[in-house]
Amino acid sequence: MTRPIRAETLKLRTAPMTWGLLGAAAGVTVLLDVLIGIRAGAGKGRVEILPLTTLSGQNTIFTTTQFAILLAMVLGVLVAAGEFRHGTATATALVTPRRHQVLVAKATVAGGMGLVFGLVGVVVSTGVGLAFLAAHGDALLLSVGTLLRDGAGACLGAGLLAVGGVAVGSLLRSQVAGVVTVLVWTLAGETGLGALFPSASPYFPFNAARSLSGVSSFAGETAAAQFYVAALTVAAVAIVLALIAAETTVRRDIS
Amino acid sequence: MATIAVDGLTKHFGPILAVDDLSFEIGGGTVLGLLGPNGAGKTTTLRMLVGLVEPTSGTATINGGRYRDLADPVRHVGAVLEASGFYPGRSAHDHLRVQAAAGGLPAKRADEVLELVGLTGAADRRVGGYSLGMRQRLGLAAALLGDPEALILDEPTNGLDPEGVRWMRELLRGFAREGRTVLVSSHILAELALTVDSVCILDHGRLITQASLEDLTKGARQVVRVRSPRADELRMALVGQGSTVRSIAADRLEVEGSSPEEVGTLAASLGIPIFEISEDASSLEDAFFRLTGAALPEGLAR
Repeated sequence: MTRPIRAETLKLRTAPMTWGLLGAAAGVTVLLDVLIGIRAGAGKGRVEILPLTTLSGQNTIFTTTQFAILLAMVLGVLVAAGEFRHGTATATALVTPRRHQVLVAKATVAGGMGLVFGLVGVVVSTGVGLAFLAAHGDALLLSVGTLLRDGAGACLGAGLLAVGGVAVGSLLRSQVAGVVTVLVWTLAGETGLGALFPSASPYFPFNAARSLSGVSSFAGETAAAQFYVAALTVAAVAIVLALIAAETTVRRDIS
Repeated sequence: MATIAVDGLTKHFGPILAVDDLSFEIGGGTVLGLLGPNGAGKTTTLRMLVGLVEPTSGTATINGGRYRDLADPVRHVGAVLEASGFYPGRSAHDHLRVQAAAGGLPAKRADEVLELVGLTGAADRRVGGYSLGMRQRLGLAAALLGDPEALILDEPTNGLDPEGVRWMRELLRGFAREGRTVLVSSHILAELALTVDSVCILDHGRLITQASLEDLTKGARQVVRVRSPRADELRMALVGQGSTVRSIAADRLEVEGSSPEEVGTLAASLGIPIFEISEDASSLEDAFFRLTGAALPEGLAR
């Protein structure tokens, strides 16, 4: 198993797409944090952000890791479906004809890179959040333990959703369809279904990953799932998708 | 020395029968050409050989086993099945490093095969900027990474310039001279005629014939083309010798029934100058007609 893992690691390292997505994750997290920092306590707009002197305000600015988590999932899709987009699936299968090994290697490496995406999101959101607090002379109300738990949760959520992304990409074999599916599901599907079934909302995979990163409630004021429940939910989704992908990828022709 | 064997290989894609009960075998030191028009089943056959496509029935084996069961497949078989199969943002060197890592080969093999295919100077360029010919060479470099016993190539000269085609031909012949096995597909008859030892002709997924090139072209129509300022005189002399001669221009003849040596010797004995003489390279095409009695399948190029 070490050979395909080494190869997949090298693929990620040598693909400009990886670093572009990571840069986008960092850049958008900075942008979100700056907007939140400026808007916090500025009164009711379309989205009200409480002042950074409140727990809720600080929770908002320290949990902007969600975009990094989303991009980790997109990365997972690209890692798997990109092979079909660029026709490299043939070369990969020729060197490693046991396809389940390739899938495991991709899931492992994408999962690891997902952790890095989560970490970058955590470092950026924490750094910018602390900078805003320092600039306004506000005290940090969240405990270090909470920040560490939320940070670890963001990394875990990003890693697991990256594995889920690999499974989605492997199932669909289309980069565009995979990315669109992931974006539509996370940005519209979970919101829409959450409005219809509020009690189920915390257990949707992206919402569960957001819970891991410290988001405390969703639309409709539905409370987030507990940390371990959210972790189990995201892990279960990633594993089920990966098993389905493993079952189908071995049988399908590469033509 | 690798043996590639296909036995009763059949593949259905839904209602379409792509390969129909195909059987052939190829041993070491041989270049076998898989010949047929587009859609004849060549690519599907090659993909079934290396486990990319699952046969509906029949077997495709390398050294007696399935490709996917080989312990180190890249050390046994190198295959080029997709000229465009590269991530465009990755350099050629990095592409080969990835393949080497997956195959458990040392990274220095990437440099060695890049030199072998003449891409050392472009090794650090992104593959997205490569021409089709350069991609073909890079694909071949990847296939050679494991120094394999056998090569399986699908239309390997697509996109190559004439010099590249000759380079490829010499490489494949050299590979076979070392006792290794080459299976190459093409829809260009003249190209294969200069490269292969034997041929499998496919059409609509079925094997029409398998024979050595020598057997296939034995007795085939040999055409010698001659250019001479005294073509009429030469024509009459050749007809007198029993050859069939056709004037295709005032100074050009097509001769059947005589070899280039015989035509040249006759002309010299009569003091007739010859400016140009050549043997028709399309004898494989003629053999196709003779052996199958079929019309040239649609899409089969000369």
